[in-house]
Amino acid sequence: MSDRTNPCQTFPIDYTEVLERIGGDRAFLEELLKIYVEECDKKLKVIKEATARQDFPLIQQLGHSLKGSSANLSLIFLQKVSFFLEMAGKEKNIALARSALAALEKEFDNLKDYLRQNPPSPVTP
Amino acid sequence: MKILIAEDDLITCRILEKNIESWGYEVVLARSGGQAWQALKDSSLRLAILDWMMPGMDGIEICKKIRRRKKYKYTYIILLSAKDRKQDIIAGLSSGADDYMAKPVNFLELRARLQTGKRIIDLEDKLLYVQNQLKDLASRDSLTKLWNRVEISKFLREELDRTQREKKPLGVIMVDVDYFKKINDLFGHNIGDLALLQVVSRIKRKVRRSDKVGRYGGDEIIVILPNCGLLEIKKIAERLRASIARRGVKTGEETFPVTISAGCASSENRPHASAESLIKAADAALLKAKNQGRNCVFVDDDVTENTREVKNV
Repeated sequence: MSDRTNPCQTFPIDYTEVLERIGGDRAFLEELLKIYVEECDKKLKVIKEATARQDFPLIQQLGHSLKGSSANLSLIFLQKVSFFLEMAGKEKNIALARSALAALEKEFDNLKDYLRQNPPSPVTP
Repeated sequence: MKILIAEDDLITCRILEKNIESWGYEVVLARSGGQAWQALKDSSLRLAILDWMMPGMDGIEICKKIRRRKKYKYTYIILLSAKDRKQDIIAGLSSGADDYMAKPVNFLELRARLQTGKRIIDLEDKLLYVQNQLKDLASRDSLTKLWNRVEISKFLREELDRTQREKKPLGVIMVDVDYFKKINDLFGHNIGDLALLQVVSRIKRKVRRSDKVGRYGGDEIIVILPNCGLLEIKKIAERLRASIARRGVKTGEETFPVTISAGCASSENRPHASAESLIKAADAALLKAKNQGRNCVFVDDDVTENTREVKNV
């Protein structure tokens, strides 16, 4: 699902772009990422349930919402998989919804790992 | 200036809020279409950033509802959406939005676009201000700044309708400056104008806030007194007469005596009276006051148009 063939797109978050968007405020970015992780966690649970019962309007709505917040935080891969989830809901395509959901979980884990190793505000010794 | 941000996504909401507040705007947040519509009842919200896709009412529907409103000043709307195809932009703008921005938002661009919105709002405020001033100018007499005949007649009709519905009386006092023509002939029109202005100023000070004073023509001043029966109106008219007669009119260093005559009518004894018939009754009472030697008040006290003298100084 996520296309990592582009060597420029190897990181789950484009710090340069997002920091430019929020005026370089790293503490604020940390606050936003914390909100994102909490929200995404909650939404993933709901998306799983919605996929299990094939609730396509809800899949579309949550995919759309995740796509927006991912785009705002320059979370490139998460934005892409959210888009596929939204499409799956719109087209009522359960196979696409399942694979998008799996990709979403994977990318979300990747993001959390990446943020642990590369926090927005570098830890000062 | 206050701005409404209607956005269901928490991240986008926080980023918008932080940036926009740092530009000096006061931000009001709404997380759904319903909340946004509720917030827009605050008439001081003139700028709105609406997300297209929101739970409940979406941005497009809110745009349409805003444009259907009649009693509100103009609201400048920026529609936000992840949809960036030409037909989406056209659909967004056709719903009544003034501007359209694709997400994720570029904040330098948003800041510039908000300034455009602010400029439009400022222009519309200036236009409304001038329009109100022109309306006021057209409604008032140029010398005394009192309501002119057209406006005061309109007010009388409206108040008479209201008081008749509420079964309350309404009073009319018609005032005329005694020997006004002589004042003009003897001292000149400038002094005549000055005398009229001082009479008007004293009348305005002696009536209630809810009363309206207008220039009915020449030296004829009309006072409309809502919820006033014959007894009250008699007292007020007498108060007006005494306040004018007590002190002369000052013209530079000189002072000369000026008096008024007043005719009163009320819907109390004419429950089905029209505005015209009340004015006519007050005018008839005024004529009687004039014929009785001036500087006095007459009250029209019944439908047979009999008048009775209240005071004759």
